[in-house]
Amino acid sequence: MTLLKKMSVWVAYLAVLLLLPQLFDSILAISVFNQMAIAIVFALSYNMLLGQGGMLSFGHAVYFGMGGFLAVHALLMLETETVHFSIIWIPLIGGLFGLLAAIFIGSFSTRKAGTVFAMISLGIGELIAASSLIFVDFFGGEAGISGDRTYGPTFFGIDFAQNVEVYYLAAGWVFISTVFMYLFTQTPAGRMANAVRDNPVRAEFIGYSARHVRFISFCASGLFAGIAGGLFALNYEFITEENLNAATSGRVLLMAYIGGLGYFIGPIIGAVLLTLMNSLLSNYTELWMLYLGILFLLTVMFLPRGFAGFIMMHQLAWVRGKLRDLVVPYLMTGIPALTFMLSLIALIELVHAEAESLHIYGLTLDPSLEGTWIVLVVIAAAALYGTRRSLPQLRAAWHSANHIPDEER
Amino acid sequence: MLDVLIFATLNGVVTGLLLFMLAAGLTLIFSMMGVLNFAHASFYMLGAYCAYSISLYFGFWVGLLVAPLIVGVLGALIERYGLRRVHQSGHVAELVFTFGLAFLIEESVQFFWGRDTKNYQSPDILDFALFTLFGQEFSAYRGFMIAISVGIFIGLYFVLTRTRIGIIIQAAITHPKTVANLGHNVPLIFMGVFGAGTALAGLAGVIAGPVLTTFPGMAVVLGSIVFVIVVIGGLGSLAGAFIASLLIGLLQSYAIASDVGMQDLLNVFGIDFPYDHPLADLWGLTLPQIAPILPFLLLILVLIFRPTGLLGKREE
Amino acid sequence: MAILSLKNVHKSFGNTQIIRGVSLDIEQGEKHAIIGPNGAGKSTLYHLISGLYRVTSGTIELRQQPIHNRAPYEISRLGLARSFQVTNIFPRLNVFENVRCALLWSHGFRYSFWHLLGRQGELNDSAMHVLDQIGLKDKARYPAGELAYAQQRALELGIAIASGAEVIMLDEPVAGMSHSEAENAVQLIRRITEGKTLVMVEHDMNIVFDVADRITVLVYGEVIASDVPAAIRGNPKVQEAYLGEVATSA
Repeated sequence: MTLLKKMSVWVAYLAVLLLLPQLFDSILAISVFNQMAIAIVFALSYNMLLGQGGMLSFGHAVYFGMGGFLAVHALLMLETETVHFSIIWIPLIGGLFGLLAAIFIGSFSTRKAGTVFAMISLGIGELIAASSLIFVDFFGGEAGISGDRTYGPTFFGIDFAQNVEVYYLAAGWVFISTVFMYLFTQTPAGRMANAVRDNPVRAEFIGYSARHVRFISFCASGLFAGIAGGLFALNYEFITEENLNAATSGRVLLMAYIGGLGYFIGPIIGAVLLTLMNSLLSNYTELWMLYLGILFLLTVMFLPRGFAGFIMMHQLAWVRGKLRDLVVPYLMTGIPALTFMLSLIALIELVHAEAESLHIYGLTLDPSLEGTWIVLVVIAAAALYGTRRSLPQLRAAWHSANHIPDEER
Repeated sequence: MLDVLIFATLNGVVTGLLLFMLAAGLTLIFSMMGVLNFAHASFYMLGAYCAYSISLYFGFWVGLLVAPLIVGVLGALIERYGLRRVHQSGHVAELVFTFGLAFLIEESVQFFWGRDTKNYQSPDILDFALFTLFGQEFSAYRGFMIAISVGIFIGLYFVLTRTRIGIIIQAAITHPKTVANLGHNVPLIFMGVFGAGTALAGLAGVIAGPVLTTFPGMAVVLGSIVFVIVVIGGLGSLAGAFIASLLIGLLQSYAIASDVGMQDLLNVFGIDFPYDHPLADLWGLTLPQIAPILPFLLLILVLIFRPTGLLGKREE
Repeated sequence: MAILSLKNVHKSFGNTQIIRGVSLDIEQGEKHAIIGPNGAGKSTLYHLISGLYRVTSGTIELRQQPIHNRAPYEISRLGLARSFQVTNIFPRLNVFENVRCALLWSHGFRYSFWHLLGRQGELNDSAMHVLDQIGLKDKARYPAGELAYAQQRALELGIAIASGAEVIMLDEPVAGMSHSEAENAVQLIRRITEGKTLVMVEHDMNIVFDVADRITVLVYGEVIASDVPAAIRGNPKVQEAYLGEVATSA
């Protein structure tokens, strides 16, 4: 890619970040954007570990939460005027504390990758989460700790009382963090992280200690997770044990995985997608976590490289101008597959609704009528049959679009 | 003091044996397939819920027999149609798959059974005191739990050492590739072991449900502890898992029963401290307070100083 | 002056002695082949020298510096590079990145996270030069894991020589190649190890006698002979232990 092309991607990214609140300015939208901003930085930092460095962590929320806790303590110190600085620096404080925690923990946990690393991360995650309920002074027990972001000097007259002001601050941090995390992948340390992920033994024979390489990625990842934690603290003005426990660690794994590990843009897609699901879908159904679980398992099984990987799969067909050949087969399979999914969701919701009538897709379904069930099951079965019937054609079309004939090689 | 010690020991043994039932299945699955099944405790939870539903219609004893079978079949199906597909993407993908499975099972349980705690009861026949010591009763149901666990342990030992399939499994633990080369149907064995392992977890759920309460969080409560056990015992070592199970069971039981704390330790050295000190939380720590984190502390120490665990041989 | 020197090196796994007191001096600029029947301990010896295994006893020196029981990355930094018998590359990185990673340490980048690789003209030129040498220039952007076998072997060589190490140890570099592929590979090895010290384990005797200045014969973890090719060919002990079977079968 030429420099100009590269720069234009970044300019577009910044423009989207800045224009979002202009396009959607409801309170809900701003709150969703703030969550997205936090999730993007957090998920990208997780990808540094798993996607770029091959370290599967079940305790990444520790660095997010630690950063967040210190950020809230910093807010409290601003309130008591122990310190004096603008709150725009709060995420950096979170980041530095995340880095500190990562330096300490990484010094022994990065010795091995694979299962051993995963287990240590799990153990540390549980340990810190449990400790946070014991050390009430710092963690505030189950209730957590809260602060107020309006203290301290204003930043060019902005006091960050409004959520939208916090959004612009967060957008700035997201942009800076994204740029630096991307640049990291282009440095010797970042590239060696890929090499160690692929083949740690061989990396040792070209002069690099796999452990040191992992340690550097681990620290960088802790830094950015801490920044995300600081952004969380600024947005919500409180933080609790929940923000550093296993559930939060699991959520970031889901985001990065569904978005696509190994691709820089993957975690961004995952963060946006999951935040949208979280905040929008949860308005429509209590069962969104169930759907999330299903989505996640399907991703692991059928799209091991996530959504970004799925998009990248079309690169070759696109370069060869064969993308058009795929449209019809995609529709032939996609429409019945979508119908199957929707009817299945309707069935699940119907079971969940028990006696009450269900409003879904603009229809009202009555669970007490047998006909409702029969029609839905028939539609689902027919759609499943249609999907399976059309699948071979899709495969064939896919193969011909992506297979390079030998004479072109 | 003696009564506390004896009951703490008994409770520790009950917990330890229960943990072993989970750890045994997890170890078998890991030994065979190289997969740490993150969802193992979820199958334990499924066992409890299935048995609860069955017990409503047919009573506890039918549930005891049928629920583990249902869970085992479900486990085998998940191995066949889910895990096997992911297998080609490597161990990390498998671990992530089982992680997602745990997530999905927890949500499914809430979908089918709701979020509230279920009133899953131990059978009336076992509702008496097995013996009374120092005025404290030891319930017959706990005795029954010990009996079942020990029975399973003996049965497992017998199957693994005396039967053809057991010998194949044992061989596969140490030399997985050779066993495949000898022409055994390894995928089928995998499916069987996964099914058997999850059935064991289901059985543990059936008998633990009435004591440890049947609620959607029960998998999370036990899940990571079982992980800790198989790692401390040494990945792939059944004997190690047994020792570690009892160790963790007793450790937690003693820690909860004791009432010593940092304060006592400091008093021994004649150190006094102010109550308003910023680190007062640290000085005020008591053993029962830190009981939940002891297993994880142990896990980290073991992984740092002896990554192969107590009796393990393979590191990955 | 010997650049690589082994003195009475022993290695046992449990009660099994694999290397039973190997002493060996390899001179600067020498092309040295190590041969021996299967199970003689050749690969173990390689792993000992390159730091993958710890020695049970004895010393290994590289330019008079003891290197035994040091980590592979330290030994690599001292100027000893090796290839592997089983292809051992970075499969998800592209071919260019594979070679560039192998160049990083010797170009002094260490663990830098403040240099952008795209801007290191000299580094990138060297990487392209290595690719040119191993004939993979037109495959630079291919994921390494998708190369054909012989190309992966060439890349394996490229990674080993990229750092410009003084001593290059190749472990069966032409194993599994067709005759013409092997011939090309030997040409390549000659070209890229010019002026350097080459240690090579190889089963193909034509190649060994063609390339090597000296040959060491290892049998059951012991050196039974170490001499110039002509002397090795005439050595009755070697013929009995090893070459005899080759001579009759060839």
